[in-house]
Amino acid sequence: MAAKTEVQQGTLALMILKTLEVLGPQHGYGIARRIEQISGEQLMVNYGTLYPALLKLEQEGCVRAQWGASENNRKAKYYRLTPAGRKQIAREEKQWAQTNAILARFLAPEGERS
Amino acid sequence: MRTLRKLAMRFAGLFRRGRRDSELAAEMETHLQMYIEDNLRRGMSASEARRQALIKLGGMEQTKESYREQHSVPFIGTLMQDVRYGLRMLRKSPGFTIVAVLTLALGIGANTAIFSIVDFLVLRPLPVERPGQVVYLTVARKGHGPHTAFSYPDFIDIQKQTANVFSDLSAVGMFVTDGLSVNGQSQPIWSSYVTGDFFRLLGLKPALGRLILPSEGSVAGADPVVVLSYAYWQSRFNGDPSVIGTKASVNGVPVTIVGVAPQSFHGLTSLVDFQGYIPLGMAATLKDIPTDFLEVRADSAIALVARLKTGVTMQQAQTTLSVVAQRLSQQYPTTDDKIALGALHLSPAGLATDPGSAETLPFMGSIFLMLAAAVLVLACMNIANLFLVRAAARQREMAMRAALGAKRARLVRQLLTESLLLALLGCVAGIILGLGGSTAASSIPLHTSLPIILDFHFDWRIFAYALGAAVLTGVLVGIMPALRASRSNVNEILHEGGRTSTAGGHRLRSALVTAQVGGSLMLLIVAGLLVRSLQKAQRTDLGFDPIHVMNLTIDPHEAGYDETHAREFFHTLLERAASLPGVQSASLATSVPMAYGGGDAAFLKIDGYEPPKGQENPGAGYNAVSPRYFETMHISLLRGREIRDSDTQNSQRVAVIDQTMANRFWRGQDPIGRRFTMTDNPSHPLEVIGVAKHAVANEIFSPDDPFFYVPLSQFYQPQATLQLRSAGAAEPMGREATDLIRSLEPAIPVFDVEPMTTALDTLNGFLMFRFAAALAASLGILGLILAVVGVYGVISYAASQRTHEIGIRLALGAQPTQILKMIFRQGLIIVGAGVLAGVLAAIAMARLVGNLLFGVPPGDLVTYVTASALLVVVALIACYIPARRAMRVDPMIALRYE
Repeated sequence: MAAKTEVQQGTLALMILKTLEVLGPQHGYGIARRIEQISGEQLMVNYGTLYPALLKLEQEGCVRAQWGASENNRKAKYYRLTPAGRKQIAREEKQWAQTNAILARFLAPEGERS
Repeated sequence: MRTLRKLAMRFAGLFRRGRRDSELAAEMETHLQMYIEDNLRRGMSASEARRQALIKLGGMEQTKESYREQHSVPFIGTLMQDVRYGLRMLRKSPGFTIVAVLTLALGIGANTAIFSIVDFLVLRPLPVERPGQVVYLTVARKGHGPHTAFSYPDFIDIQKQTANVFSDLSAVGMFVTDGLSVNGQSQPIWSSYVTGDFFRLLGLKPALGRLILPSEGSVAGADPVVVLSYAYWQSRFNGDPSVIGTKASVNGVPVTIVGVAPQSFHGLTSLVDFQGYIPLGMAATLKDIPTDFLEVRADSAIALVARLKTGVTMQQAQTTLSVVAQRLSQQYPTTDDKIALGALHLSPAGLATDPGSAETLPFMGSIFLMLAAAVLVLACMNIANLFLVRAAARQREMAMRAALGAKRARLVRQLLTESLLLALLGCVAGIILGLGGSTAASSIPLHTSLPIILDFHFDWRIFAYALGAAVLTGVLVGIMPALRASRSNVNEILHEGGRTSTAGGHRLRSALVTAQVGGSLMLLIVAGLLVRSLQKAQRTDLGFDPIHVMNLTIDPHEAGYDETHAREFFHTLLERAASLPGVQSASLATSVPMAYGGGDAAFLKIDGYEPPKGQENPGAGYNAVSPRYFETMHISLLRGREIRDSDTQNSQRVAVIDQTMANRFWRGQDPIGRRFTMTDNPSHPLEVIGVAKHAVANEIFSPDDPFFYVPLSQFYQPQATLQLRSAGAAEPMGREATDLIRSLEPAIPVFDVEPMTTALDTLNGFLMFRFAAALAASLGILGLILAVVGVYGVISYAASQRTHEIGIRLALGAQPTQILKMIFRQGLIIVGAGVLAGVLAAIAMARLVGNLLFGVPPGDLVTYVTASALLVVVALIACYIPARRAMRVDPMIALRYE
């Protein structure tokens, strides 16, 4: 089993938002599973990180929560992206792209030289 | 925006905590179940699937906790936790809570009650538009102190020349009573005579009808209208709106009632409730004054109020007034030579006729606030002591919490929350007590027909004051024990076993009680001084005998009489009154000793007396009286003769002077036959016909002013007080004399029907002394109670802490009396040090209250010794109870104790 790492601070919110953008309304477990899968099981999302992050997004108005029924008829809370959430994705994607590009310039020359 | 929204949701989260928690639990449960299902699908056994899921997902409780923190505002969350915990702790020890809340209630109650009085007398602004801009003018004439009486021509000149600083300048004549007849019924009305822009200046709107118009008031005898005060309209006409437009008469002159002033407006002074407003020009026909008073510059009788223009400062106004004063003294050297003009803020104390006395009320107010604050401090000390005892008892609890990881700040905060909670409870109880106290103070009988308002109602200032006092108390009381408790060494306490440690706390507590004893002694001494000066004032030789004298005041002009008819009426009245059964003698006087508004006064030019260089002509008070006045009042005549029926309008003007005047102006000579003149009446010199013993006239405070008596027949005034001396009780005479006046002339209103003893109980008579003495005595008793509770608490706590030690001593053969002595010694040290501190504090405080004392020096030994003795005795009794208990300790039980 690959060593699983905790999610890096500040990245989880964007992952959650992106998941909701791709999958549509989703419950907490679904979001967690999806993040773990996409990360190639390298990330581990437990309650302690997921639910406070979801609450924060809800308070910021990026997502909205609603009780619904799951595939096998279990009562679950579904999170849905709001228009504000979509804007937030666009903003954060741009920021990440910039950060990545900057970091890449720091890291790339070393890689090329070797 | 987003942070705001987040904050709002967090605040909302505070109140839906339970639901949020259960929702989260449900959500996490679903999460767990889904995980288990996935694990099962992967082929794990049921128990393994669950185990793996639980391992991976982590602790549910931690999640809930961090979720909660995310969910609400942590500060407020903890605060609510603290409040809940604090309330639980207070409920757990109801005895402590009740004692603490009651103590605080007494302290805060006394403070709010006194503050409500100060608020009314000194702080509450007059209910006029932008009261901060309204000022009144003072004038100081050559050689005399400032006062507020101006002449109408001066008013016009000042008005014209101050337009750059005052947007309005208005004149008002006050302190006059008129008779208002409606439908043949006449009743007295206290009215202000005002110029037309008076109400515009104040920015007042009528409650009904209209107010005096700017066009009114400047022509003598024109504009016969009257505006009633709201209270007068309510009490006399039951608030009947149809009274507007009614034809009435004032002092027999027909007028129309045109409006009602706003409810909150009582006139320009803070104490007197003016009942009517009449255009100034009407004074010429309504009052017995020269009809040309609007043109005579020497006739000073009106006060001036002004509104500062927006942005104009008092200094700018003063500069302009100084220029005007200079111009006036140059233009009118006979009347206005070297006058100085000044301006004083009208609000909040109101217009004072004697600007020097404007300081008195704030001064008294601050003295009593200081005394009340001392009571609150005593209460605080008591509670601080209780808290210290409790903190000692809770030391282990605090240590345990600290050991479990509570930060020091967190502990302090929690203890502070508890003391603040207590303080707020005390505040609520205190406000209730204070309401009671101020209601009691409001209903003090003032014995006057003058409509005085004592409206000590509670407004926001008082609540703010009480709340401020409570919060301050909570913090002061809580911070020390909280710091002590949280500072303690965790290890030591937890290791110490059962015995609670006390040494340091005890010293602090003893110091607190010492201070308490001192503070309470200071209050007792001040109270004692005031009570003794009341006694002195009541026992002082007034120079006349008030017992068995009845007063009735009438003004025949209020029934439309002119001077000739009024003189006849007075004559008949005196004759008939003297023959009433039980009456020994009857006389008339224009002023009653210690009445509001004072008597008449004049500046004198005395033959054969040169005033000291640089000083103006001397002044003296006088009273115009009928024959037999000295007999009625029991004022002894030392030389010469008294005023007789033979002193008439047509004979030589005469005067009976008092001893003080004789000694001042004719020291070592015989004054009989000497002459003097009043400067405002130079054509009629007075001849001295007799010398009377000095009698207190206007104020008990200034008994040494020269005074003289003139015949009422020669110095006629329309309003006079009939005074009757009877063999027995004075009261029945009042009824008989009222009936007599009614039978002679039913239209004359009779007022101030009261025995002389009651008439003396006025603000410038005994009332102030009584009021001050009663207030100070209540505070002193409160302080004493608090000190006794404090001494008892500390001694009995100390004794109980030493139960173990006492048990050992007794077991080793100590005599119970030795134990008694030991406990007593501790009490004596505290009380002794407290008495010393108290005497020193009292000496300082007594110097401040010195102005309020009468006939008692601030260092009055009797008061100091009595108060100290009282305190020591009471404190020792408080020590005796725990000492006796300690003496009876059973060594066996004591040694097993703890």
